[in-house]
Amino acid sequence: MRSAAAPGRCRPRCGVFAGALAALVLVAVLAGCGREAGPAAALTVWAHAGQAAERRVLEAQVARWNAAHPEARVALTLLPEGAYGSQVQAAALAGDLPDVLELDGPYVASYAWQGHLRPLDGLLPPDVIGDLIPSVRAQGTWRGRLYAVGAFDSGLALWARRSLVEAAGARIPAHPREAWSAREFEALLAALAARDPDGAVLDLKLNWQGEWYTYGFSPLLVSAGGDLIDRSRWRAAGTLDGPASVAAMRTVQGWIRRGYVDPNLDDAAFVQGRVALSWSGHWDWPRYRAAWGEDLVLVPLPDLGRGSRSGQGSWAWGVTTRARDPRLAARFLAFLLRPEEVLAMTAANGAVPGTRTALARSPAHAPGGPLHLYAVQLTQGWTVPRPRTPAYPVITSAFQQAFADIRDGVDPRAALARAARLIDEDIAANAGYR
Amino acid sequence: MPATAERAEARAAWLLSAPALLGLALFLALPFALAVALSFTNLRLGSPLPLELVGLEQYARVLADARFRQALGNNLVFAAVVVPVQTACALGLALLLHGRLRARALYRAAFFLPVVFPLALVAVLWVLLYAPGPGGLVNRALALLTLGHWTPRDFLHDPAWALPAIMVTSIWQGVGFQMVILLAGLQGIPRHLYEAAALDGAGRWARFRHVTLPGLRNPLVFTALVTPILAFRLFDQVRIMTRGGPAGATTTVVHEIFEAAYVRAQAARASAMTVIFFLIVLAITLLQRRLAAHRRWAG
Repeated sequence: MRSAAAPGRCRPRCGVFAGALAALVLVAVLAGCGREAGPAAALTVWAHAGQAAERRVLEAQVARWNAAHPEARVALTLLPEGAYGSQVQAAALAGDLPDVLELDGPYVASYAWQGHLRPLDGLLPPDVIGDLIPSVRAQGTWRGRLYAVGAFDSGLALWARRSLVEAAGARIPAHPREAWSAREFEALLAALAARDPDGAVLDLKLNWQGEWYTYGFSPLLVSAGGDLIDRSRWRAAGTLDGPASVAAMRTVQGWIRRGYVDPNLDDAAFVQGRVALSWSGHWDWPRYRAAWGEDLVLVPLPDLGRGSRSGQGSWAWGVTTRARDPRLAARFLAFLLRPEEVLAMTAANGAVPGTRTALARSPAHAPGGPLHLYAVQLTQGWTVPRPRTPAYPVITSAFQQAFADIRDGVDPRAALARAARLIDEDIAANAGYR
Repeated sequence: MPATAERAEARAAWLLSAPALLGLALFLALPFALAVALSFTNLRLGSPLPLELVGLEQYARVLADARFRQALGNNLVFAAVVVPVQTACALGLALLLHGRLRARALYRAAFFLPVVFPLALVAVLWVLLYAPGPGGLVNRALALLTLGHWTPRDFLHDPAWALPAIMVTSIWQGVGFQMVILLAGLQGIPRHLYEAAALDGAGRWARFRHVTLPGLRNPLVFTALVTPILAFRLFDQVRIMTRGGPAGATTTVVHEIFEAAYVRAQAARASAMTVIFFLIVLAITLLQRRLAAHRRWAG
């Protein structure tokens, strides 16, 4: 021990130095906390930093608002998408929520239950609410009150290369009613694989993980007659691990087991032509259209027995209970829901416009347009909202883990039973979220 | 007179260590005390329901959770493999880079570089290296080495390979740190000991065994104490490379704590896990310290 003291001669001085440094850092941090960038904003807005095109449109929208309302400046903060939920949750705990908050659709019930969202029914003009498409309205509603409004909704379907599918001898369904059956879909995969150098012909975006698993694959449970949870009794056991849900997941596992699915580590399986089919959403439209042009076609997800089912729900806006001026916040939301603003956003991300007025003005979503299928799915009841309950964060976490395990070869019955148990435990521990 | 001097010195010592102690109390002791307190409640982050005391129920739930026990087992296996292998690799590298070698500084820098990289970056890189199919770099290298006898694997999605794959990544990333410590230790061994040993007719192995190893005892004890703690903290690689899969084969206690606290908002349950984990790591560290102290006596 003694020998260690030799270089320690300077210790007293080092200690003083370190103390002074610590004090300095503390002062700097405290000073930094109190400082606000630029003139004080009338509205603070948090949004997720999505794709570059979406981000640019949102920033332009805020700039337009600020130019028109210099007295009600909006300060926009973009948070990375990956950690958005936990950052917002941490801010909520600390009482630091902004006036206007962007949130992912299925979390609306959770935030509302926690008391962070203000009902919009009385705040937004009735004609603005009446203009929302049914799926957006349903997604923002919890226990009969509207808590969030989205400028757009998401579209989920299969992107396909028309030439390859036709060469494999399959028909191209144009309406969810005509969706490929499970048997037809598997025959198509086999035919495509026979012409493919590595036999991997389907992209399930397995590289995305997270919420994608629930968004992209829980509709299959419903299509087979199962679900994530029994939506009237709010119990997962018997539904999520019931025979229909297990069968649906066995089907997906079969595609992966037989080597039809590209692991897609580089997220470029479809644009590089490695696969003929990509199970993905509207956000890939710009990229895919640039890659394949006229050969690109949108096809409904396969029908596992009870009809094709697709996902819905996307980012939406809510006014927090911390909002200093809720009416002003609602005016900003109404501004974002103006047809020209909605269309500016959907032109950038390919999503389905969230208001009837804007949808009617969007040629891509009109009959004959390349994205018409999305509009059909969302407005004619072919989509399933993710369960609107405060238990959703646990439901999705449990299902994501189950899906990851199923992907890795675990027996679907065991994986789904564990997920159902986790969900029911959480609901019980929260007194049923009543 | 000596008493007053001592008292003054003691006061100075307290004064000077105050900033550090304050920091420790504020950022270490207080959060841990809170974790202990919270582990007896049913706290869920953000829940508007009233907080209730539930006694030892969280502990019962955690200990009954098969995934938590699996995580603990993975941590132990990980530490049991990584600590000796990484220390041995570090010693080997240090010995190689201590001798006369052209471009020695370049090699030292190259082996130390991964330590400086953010773990997240390292993990993402290795996900690409472990790419499944014959196109993946690791698969291709193994096929080349085995003259084509290797069947390509999906390392990170194979229950038997996922944890070893993460071990390799972690050793690659961490070995430079111990190497630098051991290199410093090697430079501290007086040359005349080697000369004397050589005069006594000691061979290469005997010199390594009786001069180098005893001379490296302190740095080796240090690395043997620190590496397990780093190994128990295993999280970043798991989060990015496997998220604990396949079927929990790579999950770790810290990953389970993260899932409970930040994904499922079960703060009380995560606190109970933290307390259990702290006690286990503390016990292992105390045991190691005792063993190390014992060896010092014997040596």
